[in-house]
Amino acid sequence: MAKSKIDWSPKNWPRLLFKLFSSYGLAALVLLFMTLITLFGTYYQVDHGLVAAKRKYFHSFFVVHELFGKVPLILPGGMTLMAMLFVNMVLGAIIKVRKRWRGAGLLISHSGILMLLAGGYVTYAFSTDGYMALYPGMKSNRVESYRDWQVEIMPVTADHKAEKMWVIPTASLEGIGENGSRTFTLPGLPLDVAIKGWARNASPIPVSAPMSAQARGKAIDGFKLFTQPPSKKAEQNVPGCHAEFLSQDGKEKVETILWSGSYRFDAGEKPMPFLFEIGGKKFAALIAKKSWTVPFEVRLDKFIFERHPGVSMARNYESRITRIEKGEPDKAVEIKMNEPMRYEGYTFFQESYGPADARPGDRMYSQFAVANNPSDQWPLYALIVTGFGLAIHFLIKLFGFISRARRSQVAQRKDSVS
Amino acid sequence: MIHRISTAAFLLAPLIFISSCRKKVNDVTVRPLSPAEQDFKIPKNTAERFRYTTRSSASQNGGGKSPSAASQGSPSLAYKTPRGWKEIPGSAMRDINLTFGKNGEGECYLTRLPGSGGGLLANVNRWRKQMGAPPLSAEEVAALPKKTLFHQSATLVDVTGNFGGMGGADAKKNYRLLGLILSFDTGAIFVKMTGPKALVDSNTSQFDQFVASLDVNHK
Repeated sequence: MAKSKIDWSPKNWPRLLFKLFSSYGLAALVLLFMTLITLFGTYYQVDHGLVAAKRKYFHSFFVVHELFGKVPLILPGGMTLMAMLFVNMVLGAIIKVRKRWRGAGLLISHSGILMLLAGGYVTYAFSTDGYMALYPGMKSNRVESYRDWQVEIMPVTADHKAEKMWVIPTASLEGIGENGSRTFTLPGLPLDVAIKGWARNASPIPVSAPMSAQARGKAIDGFKLFTQPPSKKAEQNVPGCHAEFLSQDGKEKVETILWSGSYRFDAGEKPMPFLFEIGGKKFAALIAKKSWTVPFEVRLDKFIFERHPGVSMARNYESRITRIEKGEPDKAVEIKMNEPMRYEGYTFFQESYGPADARPGDRMYSQFAVANNPSDQWPLYALIVTGFGLAIHFLIKLFGFISRARRSQVAQRKDSVS
Repeated sequence: MIHRISTAAFLLAPLIFISSCRKKVNDVTVRPLSPAEQDFKIPKNTAERFRYTTRSSASQNGGGKSPSAASQGSPSLAYKTPRGWKEIPGSAMRDINLTFGKNGEGECYLTRLPGSGGGLLANVNRWRKQMGAPPLSAEEVAALPKKTLFHQSATLVDVTGNFGGMGGADAKKNYRLLGLILSFDTGAIFVKMTGPKALVDSNTSQFDQFVASLDVNHK
């Protein structure tokens, strides 16, 4: 049989692209790569933790995986594969497929899978998750990230009051790396800041301690910064960096070590910024958790904490809060384990408590996990749609099989009669 | 076939290029502070900013008094000096400083560092290096025995060898190092006993007594 010749001319490229992106071959290739990156990502997670594995293998366009720790292997990342699978399914399973009633089930189930993929992207791009920790009597509308840190610089008054902050975001800091350096211009302020080496996990070590011999960088105010390997649990990382504040005329320079441990480890603590002067004006700088607000305030009225008799292990803990809108108490709510508060797109779960070393009778804080995911329920809807589609498909197949079996029986009877 | 593959790669190239072009992050943003965010603690110095406040409780109590504790209105260390041990003044790095043996050739002290003090792995291997022992892997360090220190589970390090100390002086032969490391984000605590092996062997129960007596005075 003679093979039809393919037209490779540019005017035929859209058709070729359509053919390529809607092909079964591409779907098979994407699924094969997905299997590979899932396997490699799972192995990577064992040594580097969940967040690092997600970032490297699944939230990336390309991955350089070191096979057996030696051979670099370039693979498409999760983002590329998901995008290709989405395009492939839209073109191949929705647009290209022949529309007939027998294929209705598969059409519906593929739509469900597309909804699942779209939900995954919406979660990646738009969801937020953080925590809010409050002692009884405290109120807040600010949610803090578990693992993202940022550098904040504030002009302060003589009595150390600040009104505005200039924020260098996490992504920019992590891009610097441990050995890099980057200067940031602070719009409207008479200074620039150079961040020299961003360590995801670090501790300041006094120069008098033997450990300081292993620390990197310059000693400032009797301390050096010791870089540690990032923790497998990303929320346990305590980043640090060297910072240089420079007046824009280049005449003044202030150096320091910024360390996230100066922020706070407990809801009741106040952050301890680095204070400095440039051009006769006072400034404060610190590494703080990335934070954002919810459109209402939460006041913790009472935290109920019960221990198992004779041991310090928690038996039950729950929070009684008042939701405050526009400064006025709106509603009293109880937040318990498995009984979160859902309001205005945000879900407050009773997550934990502290301080970790609290003894019976000590004042304790309550910590809520605060999640906001516009596609929270999409996986459920996607599974319903996919399940419905598959049910229709299997029923069509079943009826087809029964009717074929009947026809065959009738034909056999006719044969035996004749 | 090769022609097909190369054409497919050519057609995919723009997609790969577009997907690899990351959006430039808008670096510095400005926002007002909420009232709760305007409340800072102004640290007196860098040490306080790094939560590094050593308290030489031994020297503040005149030495040799047990149980001793510094009463500066903030949490301080409480402990019992084991019988036969001697308390000597602390130093910048040593919150508690004890010696034992005829000529005080055995020593046991407690130090603290800010943050995790460089982490458990680095510190265990630093101690091992002082004793001329090879470093351990993270898995081996995780498998080291534990002992309770300040109501927490601390890692026990027990190495025998030639003690080179911290200053790179001539190694002291047949020494034993017995130490505990407690490492958290908020701070690291080290209890370290060193001395001639036979002397340390005969003082392990005193070491245990000392460790068990360690606590924090909140008043």
